[in-house]
Amino acid sequence: MLPAFAYARPGSLREALDLLKDAASAPLAGGTDLQGCMEDGVARPARLVSLAAVPELRGLEVRPDGSLRIGAATPLAELAAHPAVRQRHAALARAAASVGSPQLRNQGTLGGNLLQRPRCWYFRGDFPCARKGGGTCYAQDGRNARHAILGGGRCVMVHPSDTAPALVALDAVVQLAGPRGARRVPAGELFVGPERDVRRETVLAPGELLVEVLVPAAPPGARSGYDKARARGSFDFALVGAAVALVLRGRSVERARVVLGGVAPLPWRSRPAEQALEGRALDEGSLAAAAEAAVAGADPLAENGYKVAMTRGIVQRLLASLAAG
Amino acid sequence: MSGEASAGAGPGAPEPWGETRVVGKPLPRIDAWERVTGAAVFTRDLTLPDMLHAAVLRCPHAHARVRRVDLAVAARRPGVRAVLGPDGPGAAIPWYPDREGKPTSRLLDPDCRYQGEEVAAVAAETLAQAQEALAAVAVEYEVLPAVTDMERALDAGAPAVHARGNRQGERFGYSRGDLEQGLAQADAVVELTTRSACSVHTPMEVHCSVAHWEGHQLTVWDSTQGVFAVRAELAAALGLPLSSVRVVSHFVGGGFGGKLQLSKHTVLAALLARAAGRPVKLALSREETLRCVGNRPPNRLTVRAGARRDGTLTALGLEALGTGGAYPASATSGLLVGDLYRCANVRTAHDNVHVNAGPGRAFRAPGVPPAAFALEQAMDALAEKLGLDPLELRLANLPTGSQTRGLPFTSTGLERCLREGARAFGWREARARARDAGPLRRGVGLAAGMWGYEGDPRATALVTLLADGSATLNTGAVDIGTGTRTVLAQVVAEELGVPLERIAVENADTGTTQFSPPSGGSQTVLVNAPAVRAAALEVRRKLLGIAAGELHAAPGSLRLEGGAVVTAAGRRVLLKDLAGLAERVSLVGVGERAPHPPGKLALPFAAHFAEVEVDVRTGQVRLLRLLAVQDSGRVMNALTFENQVHGGVVMGLGFGLTEERVLDHATGALLSRGWHDYQLPTALDAPASIDWLPVDPHDRECNSVGAKGLGEPAHIPTAAAVANAIHHATGVRPLEAPMTPPRLVALLARARS
Repeated sequence: MLPAFAYARPGSLREALDLLKDAASAPLAGGTDLQGCMEDGVARPARLVSLAAVPELRGLEVRPDGSLRIGAATPLAELAAHPAVRQRHAALARAAASVGSPQLRNQGTLGGNLLQRPRCWYFRGDFPCARKGGGTCYAQDGRNARHAILGGGRCVMVHPSDTAPALVALDAVVQLAGPRGARRVPAGELFVGPERDVRRETVLAPGELLVEVLVPAAPPGARSGYDKARARGSFDFALVGAAVALVLRGRSVERARVVLGGVAPLPWRSRPAEQALEGRALDEGSLAAAAEAAVAGADPLAENGYKVAMTRGIVQRLLASLAAG
Repeated sequence: MSGEASAGAGPGAPEPWGETRVVGKPLPRIDAWERVTGAAVFTRDLTLPDMLHAAVLRCPHAHARVRRVDLAVAARRPGVRAVLGPDGPGAAIPWYPDREGKPTSRLLDPDCRYQGEEVAAVAAETLAQAQEALAAVAVEYEVLPAVTDMERALDAGAPAVHARGNRQGERFGYSRGDLEQGLAQADAVVELTTRSACSVHTPMEVHCSVAHWEGHQLTVWDSTQGVFAVRAELAAALGLPLSSVRVVSHFVGGGFGGKLQLSKHTVLAALLARAAGRPVKLALSREETLRCVGNRPPNRLTVRAGARRDGTLTALGLEALGTGGAYPASATSGLLVGDLYRCANVRTAHDNVHVNAGPGRAFRAPGVPPAAFALEQAMDALAEKLGLDPLELRLANLPTGSQTRGLPFTSTGLERCLREGARAFGWREARARARDAGPLRRGVGLAAGMWGYEGDPRATALVTLLADGSATLNTGAVDIGTGTRTVLAQVVAEELGVPLERIAVENADTGTTQFSPPSGGSQTVLVNAPAVRAAALEVRRKLLGIAAGELHAAPGSLRLEGGAVVTAAGRRVLLKDLAGLAERVSLVGVGERAPHPPGKLALPFAAHFAEVEVDVRTGQVRLLRLLAVQDSGRVMNALTFENQVHGGVVMGLGFGLTEERVLDHATGALLSRGWHDYQLPTALDAPASIDWLPVDPHDRECNSVGAKGLGEPAHIPTAAAVANAIHHATGVRPLEAPMTPPRLVALLARARS
């Protein structure tokens, strides 16, 4: 049952930020993650600050230079259906389209998808785990089929977002606003791994809001995509996800971004996989090499060794579809 | 149509139907409007005046002893009207009987053997107040070591779930012929071991009870599959005469076996209601239903199978390990190994162990889908070894009766299920065009199945024809969502010619309706429809007697249709215009279900055919199509029949592909606490088309309506058929269910290296 809470509905960003100075307040966008966090006792806000009427968080525009400005409160469904996003930033549209279910995509927002809390069943359950301030990562030696094969350590959660790897691959930048003003952070620097701070997943400071996401224009020869393997046909987080953004010059890969989801505590940029592609044609050899490189350094736990094979498979499948045009 | 007594469908049963006018048609449910508009009141929806809401304090440990419970503070919290702890009245009601009927626990047991076991309960004005009060209950636990893995439960030094050990009774089994000799006679032998995870019933409507006392009379609205079963258990638990307990269950949002028995929350609601002097509702949360009200036990099954070169089976062996959880519950089934195929040498052995996990309950053909998963994969492997088409191997070993019970079947539709299914599916062509190169592999598989319960024939129904020509049907049968009410009303319409929309059904209320066994075991239609038919026939006889007198015709020359009596000459008289009927006000018929045919068994059969596409890069399986061929005798309603098949198949896909209860081995804590981590299949996991093909052997002996069971046989072979299709597509044997992408991608990677 949802615990009791107060509710506020500010009409501007300034007003919202004022309300969020109170540490017992939490921002409410789509609420699809927050509600579960409250039910599980992972979040215990005394007041929810609705972002529904904050105009600065809304809107999805294609700017004259071809870049995108996406308000953080943009529903995932809108992003997934937007013709320009689908055409020029396919990784983002595909990622948004693969989140949850139609209801969740109508309700859930891009900002919420980036900032959602881990799905780890120990974190969400009644375990005083490291991420909740305890001393132990229970998944490390526990039931860890869905956990990290890369970048684990003090916490082996996996980052659950589909859109985060896509935005990192597309070199997006996020705009934050807080009590101490606004700042811009590259999407790749938004996320925090457990070795840096095991208690949080992003660089957002208390009271800070994600306002908008800026995606640079797709250069000529750009191709991108997102693919994920999940345990059932829909309504599921990625067991392994991958976002790839390529710039092709003729048949050759000039620039590659390969970012994995579902395998590490944060969106995992695989530079070895990128290097395996850059300067080569997209052919069977480079695909296989990139797939192999993507799992370089993987250190599976007792129950998630399959993720090594699955990551290779997803990277290869996605690259094959990009090679096919 | 009418029928007189004959020996065909059992002693005293009327002649079976030939052609039918209403029965068998694809008729929408008579309560469809209520269901789709939300007007239907399920127990979960019920609100009584002055009703309190209850919540249960559950043990957070998988194994612990409650040293002390202090309810004093909780009892003083705002809104709290009643509290109940392990020392309270009724807390010592015996619970969880073992095979000999001896209780192994009590309603509120200080020895908690799984995470979620009931410790105390509170009733308050609101649910929020009840939960707040629970947080104020002080409990001192002595935490004990737990065991959750059934394969470790018998290890030396494993924590003891019960003082007398972790074995649930002695090893049991069955034997005929000589297994070892049969294996020695075989030209090919296979042995394989399957493991299937624990899955949970997850009916759409959570378990819920509302208890209301009026003096010494207790009425309980319960989301249950059997109102009479719950009444008997509840009256015994509370020491009340049966006549003092009334159990009602009008609309039920699914059961699947998880609502066949009395649950603790029902007794707690009754005890709290008595203490508070007010009605009490106790609805379990989804998480509670995932912990505490049953599951399909995990199984480890080793099958050995041997056959001669021509496919004749010479040996079938089963070594079964299962766990009913912390308390006695059946865990494995020997039905298929013993009876699905003709085989002279069979031996089964079953071990059932205790672990610190929620107790099992009957789950849609208890133990049989896991057994099909094992046996039907072994049959496939055997066919492969012999170089036979899997279809031919099965056809070479068709049974004509139950070899374990020594009784012939009234009808055996298995051969037709296999042959007609193979034709409709295009089995041979599909096998030939399987794709075995590239990342997407296609394959087909089939599996057979049967169900072994013939039903409890003790059912009574009342049919009343009213003066205006409308009719009522009174039956104790619960409609758990399968369309029981509609199918039974069709039987009345068939015999009396009264339009379906003029028939009202009153059902599942022990205070006002007649005895019926629980809606489970695939018995609902085959037990109740003959009782309803007998009642309708009695009314029919009375009505035709009246009409014959008024119309100066012989009763046998009259027909009943469209709410009228029709003479041989074509004269129509509306029932409401019959003076004799108006004078009598109503005509009542009492129908009792005839006994089963002596010395024979009426059982349903099935064969499922699946085509899959496996992405060998990720282990993802796409169901391209699935054909369910069912010998369930007569199709009573083509729509509800199709619904049952769809539900059975999708649930089979859940068992086979996605569903798994996950426990933390170190603490015994439940990790799959909700819909995210307990994964039901979605619409996208089902094939775009689930095809179904009924095979009706026109069984004139099984009962007076010719129907056999459907709910369970529609579920039994699905996962096994998919497993065989995956093997056909990829060459790897998926021996663990659910066959998730993680398991399959690991298997495929291992096979490559």
